[in-house]
Amino acid sequence: MADCPMSHEPVENDPIADPPPLEEELVAYLDGELDAQAERRIEQLLAADPTVRETLRQLEHTWELLDDLGAADVDETFTRTTLEMVAVEAEEEVRQVTAELPRRRGWRLAMQLGGLGAAALAGFLAVALLRPDPNRQLLEDLPVLENLDQYEQVGDIQFLEMLREAHLFEKEDGHGT
Amino acid sequence: MISESSAQLSPLRDPDVRLMLEVRDGSAAAFEELVLRYQRRLVTVLEHQLGSREWAEDLAQDVFLRVYRARKNYVPGAKFSTWLFTIANNGALNALRNRSRRREVSLELRQSGLSGAHPMERLLQASSTEMPARQLDKAETRQMVRLALESLNERQRMAVLLSKFEEMSYADIAEAMELSPKAIKSLLSRARVNLREVLEAYVQRGELPSPRGDDPSPDPS
Repeated sequence: MADCPMSHEPVENDPIADPPPLEEELVAYLDGELDAQAERRIEQLLAADPTVRETLRQLEHTWELLDDLGAADVDETFTRTTLEMVAVEAEEEVRQVTAELPRRRGWRLAMQLGGLGAAALAGFLAVALLRPDPNRQLLEDLPVLENLDQYEQVGDIQFLEMLREAHLFEKEDGHGT
Repeated sequence: MISESSAQLSPLRDPDVRLMLEVRDGSAAAFEELVLRYQRRLVTVLEHQLGSREWAEDLAQDVFLRVYRARKNYVPGAKFSTWLFTIANNGALNALRNRSRRREVSLELRQSGLSGAHPMERLLQASSTEMPARQLDKAETRQMVRLALESLNERQRMAVLLSKFEEMSYADIAEAMELSPKAIKSLLSRARVNLREVLEAYVQRGELPSPRGDDPSPDPS
């Protein structure tokens, strides 16, 4: 404001300098944005200074002139086309989700098959490791089985035991049996 | 940004936030209600900000579309109107900057004398033949006010429009324009002083204000 004596710093990038603090306070006063203390201060100033009163009147008057701009008159066409645009957007979202469904189903099927395969492998390993192996006993008895005919000719277990204790079988089977 | 406690309370206080939460949950009726509640307000602010009704309607529809697209991630953190006008302000700033880039060529033509005078000059030429008693009729006043508004930079203009037409507080304008309340106080003050200088000079004496136009500078204070 040219007629205001209060000084101020000009601000960079703004071709019109900042208004003095008084005008800033007057605008905030008109907008109801001052605290009670600042409001009292402005009211005292207004009561004492006709120049300040005139500045306030002009600020208020030009603000009221903005009422002449009026509000836009929006018709039903705008509402309808806006909602149609959004409906098209919603349809597009549904289309995208639907298009992704087969791919998602494929992934789900692959995951299910993979799970089944893993379960089958785990079951096989468990059975293979835990079940008694019938061949193991055969392997252990193999040295006896290989010489079964000769052992049967002896006919006396105690005699065979004596031969074993004398380590006479070790050269043949290497197992001490 | 508002505090966590007020964010939690806002859905209870603001019916439009509750509507937006219904939109988030898939209610088309709630979205239609929001459009009906805000379309006039949004187009009004954008029309005065952009200076074109058609452009304002296009941008308003784009804003509603952005609201719809953002529904799934919507978290009530402010009044709905503040959130909506934040989107609108960003859209308007982008639109104005794109327009200024496109206008570079035509501006060069105007400066070289190949185009018409500044709108303010045209208006003055048309209406200032009988200046002593300034009896402005309604249409002339509206045109003058519109030109005075155009003489503000884009941020001053948006702050004025949100204050005048949305009756927003400095805090809400600050949030919508992503500035501090102190910056808004300064911005609005400068805007209103500029308007007073333009309009009072014209009303009293028919004086031509110095044209300004949009100032895309980022510093609000």
